[in-house]
Amino acid sequence: MPDSALAGIRVIELAQGVAGPYCGKLLADAGAEVIKVEPPEAGDRSRNLGPFPDDIPDREKSGLYLHLNTNKKSVSLDAGTASGRTILKRLLAKADILIESFPPGHMPGLGLGYDDLKEELSDLIYCSITPFGQTGPYRDYKANSIALMALCGLMYVTGDPDREPLATGGYPADYFAALNAWVAILAALAFREREGGGQYIDVSMLESLGCADEYNTGMYSFMGAIRRRYYSRHLFSYPMDIYACRDGQVVVVPGANGFPTSMALLVEQPELETHMLFTNFWMRAIQSQEFDALIQPWLDAHDAEDILTRAQELRLPFGPVLGPKTLLANAHLAERGFFQEIAHPEAGKLTHCGLPFLMSETPLETGPSPTLGQHNEEVLSEAMGYGREELIILRERGII
Amino acid sequence: MPDLPLAGIRVLDLGQVYAGPTCARVLCDLGAEVIRVEGINRMDTIRNLFLADNDGSDDYWNRGSYYVFRNAGKQSVVLEFTDSRGVELFSRLVPQVDIVVENFTPRVMKNLGLDYESLRRLRPDVIVISMSGYGQNGPWRDYAAYGTGLEAVSGTCSLTGYRDGPPTRTGISFTDPMSGLMGAGAVLLALQYRRRTGKGQFIDLSQHEAAIPLIGHALMDFVMNNREQPRRGNRDLVAAPQGCYRCRGEDNWLVISVADDNQWRRLAEAVGHPEWAEDERFADILSRHGHHDQLDALIEAWTREQDHIEAMHLLQRAGITAAAVLNGKEVLLDPHLRERGAFDLVDVPGAGKRPVPRVLGARFSRFEAKARGPAPKLGEHNREVLQGLLDLSNEEVTRLEEEGVIGMEPVLMYPLPIARQMVVQPLFSFKQMGALLDIEPDYKEQLGLEG
Repeated sequence: MPDSALAGIRVIELAQGVAGPYCGKLLADAGAEVIKVEPPEAGDRSRNLGPFPDDIPDREKSGLYLHLNTNKKSVSLDAGTASGRTILKRLLAKADILIESFPPGHMPGLGLGYDDLKEELSDLIYCSITPFGQTGPYRDYKANSIALMALCGLMYVTGDPDREPLATGGYPADYFAALNAWVAILAALAFREREGGGQYIDVSMLESLGCADEYNTGMYSFMGAIRRRYYSRHLFSYPMDIYACRDGQVVVVPGANGFPTSMALLVEQPELETHMLFTNFWMRAIQSQEFDALIQPWLDAHDAEDILTRAQELRLPFGPVLGPKTLLANAHLAERGFFQEIAHPEAGKLTHCGLPFLMSETPLETGPSPTLGQHNEEVLSEAMGYGREELIILRERGII
Repeated sequence: MPDLPLAGIRVLDLGQVYAGPTCARVLCDLGAEVIRVEGINRMDTIRNLFLADNDGSDDYWNRGSYYVFRNAGKQSVVLEFTDSRGVELFSRLVPQVDIVVENFTPRVMKNLGLDYESLRRLRPDVIVISMSGYGQNGPWRDYAAYGTGLEAVSGTCSLTGYRDGPPTRTGISFTDPMSGLMGAGAVLLALQYRRRTGKGQFIDLSQHEAAIPLIGHALMDFVMNNREQPRRGNRDLVAAPQGCYRCRGEDNWLVISVADDNQWRRLAEAVGHPEWAEDERFADILSRHGHHDQLDALIEAWTREQDHIEAMHLLQRAGITAAAVLNGKEVLLDPHLRERGAFDLVDVPGAGKRPVPRVLGARFSRFEAKARGPAPKLGEHNREVLQGLLDLSNEEVTRLEEEGVIGMEPVLMYPLPIARQMVVQPLFSFKQMGALLDIEPDYKEQLGLEG
């Protein structure tokens, strides 16, 4: 049986929504024991967000929750009560990592801030994920993914030049924060093995998105130029965008070596090889409409799959424009075994998004998301030593 | 301050352009010694992009912001991979390193005789991460890919776009920084395992797959309900109103998102229109969704008279999610990011210090993960690395230089005088066509940079 990378590491996840849970999932799928502590009545707030089968809300069937919490254990616990906090502290005493995503000041208010715990739990790696971090003038500001896309500079360069800036769909700020928190936690684990002791990690979702700044600040700090959105294009390598074709769309990316020859061959007009807009790339970017007029008729006469195959034969890095349906039916992903069917006690068998990378010695492995409080007994009695009667009292009092 | 977590770990970074170099830069910021390896005939094309002061003279390839952002703190060795002696030098470096990072299509490393099995023979506990566009197997494994295109292949573009429009790209190479971070985390997992067992391993990261989980909720919707989610522009399924509203000045915008009835009441009061909260068209969350266009018109009538940044502070003080849409300059000058230290000042050869964004959005209490130095000049560390790690003599290195196996001058696709013209961006044309807001000659002064 293959080993796992994080065998023996225990994580307490006191985070809700997307960012903290995706970070926890990445740790869980690598073999850490992730104990998700959820409020006893409602659970993680993502349990109330869809999609749900047939749009019928059910906290055990939220597609978002099921996607983000695979392989974890769930303990339902009211950290707002003194008894709940006592249990939580005992859980933390046996843990290596805590992930929390409350607003700054909330955990210290409960007596569970890093400074409250660090002496007793000196090996604990304590990771806080917040929109703006724990310091700075915006620390108490509210934000969601679109607000953070706006402030990090990416929204300003996305969309059409004559329309409003456009947010990227889904929850990109949350996912970038999750990846940053995950890398940071693994770095702190490496540090603990070298130097001993845990530490505090302050993850800012805004700065996590800022890591995706390709050249917006660079255009100003190196050249004094303020970049605007221009159909979300890169001008230094035109074209590089989504184009319409006969049966939908296709990503036209000729890449570093596509011009002039390969692109002229692709559109079956070899004479274009000497055309000024094929030989001069700045001219091509500036006169983009004239250039598009040269290739659009050919694109309009061909289907995406045909275009993609021909382009890749010429080593042009074109790509298809895929969505949920076409991804789930994609033959390449199927051969890679990307999507996985996971059986859940309440939601049944569902195809889940796969693992983001493959490891030869310590393959990531995933399992079902937990139902709310599914592991109360296992975690509290087996791992923490609470007796049967104590558990009854805690349940009666609504603490678990 | 104690050592960094990866002190003593050595990385060979064969990464090109964005994803691979980002992975290696994260490892570098965490303390690893990263040796970046480029081919004399295959200089990384990002060295041509966004040069300091748009100046293509001298060794311009060491002054590009795109290059500096991804490679600050690393060392540079330049080998000729089409010469078997170049490949041999690389092979001799492998026993001295812990990690090899590359993001070619799978056939490149195989053709060089440098695939994982070969590298493992040279160093049994080596960790190799391959970060190709589509992974190491499957029908698309040899497909070429750029991060710019992979965003659409991964599904994110299917959710991005104006409500009446087609799938749309984000204005950056979206999957590259994501894969870079993902790759760095995967390497940290492999290091954790190696510390425990002494074993290395191979990591197959498909940049395509690494980004698919971002649309996990939409995939689940299809699995559960056989339905694809619409593009919502800047609107939200739940919060209303939510949108991006025009403010005073040229191309200034404010994002506002109202989660519930209380916030709606507070917004109406904050903008001096308490009567909005009484209007039954907007009284509850469902009616606000039903009359979203009318709401947008009312809100924009107010924002048009406001400064986008001041309006953000006004609404945030009232407890409402509001965010100015910042451009690159405003991000650099943002007081919050400045106080948080989101940029490190890095020396650029011949161009002075420039702010370089952090590659990790995390702050650690016991060490600081930041750019550890300038980005290396092409081949700057040839001698240091080959003499230091391979015990080559001064004469041997000189002979390799003379024979073109190593070098510090790139062999370019075009004659040098033409290449110099090509790397200068036609900024004024870009401004004319509306792709730039402005070009400010005094930008260094505005940023408080020397000279």
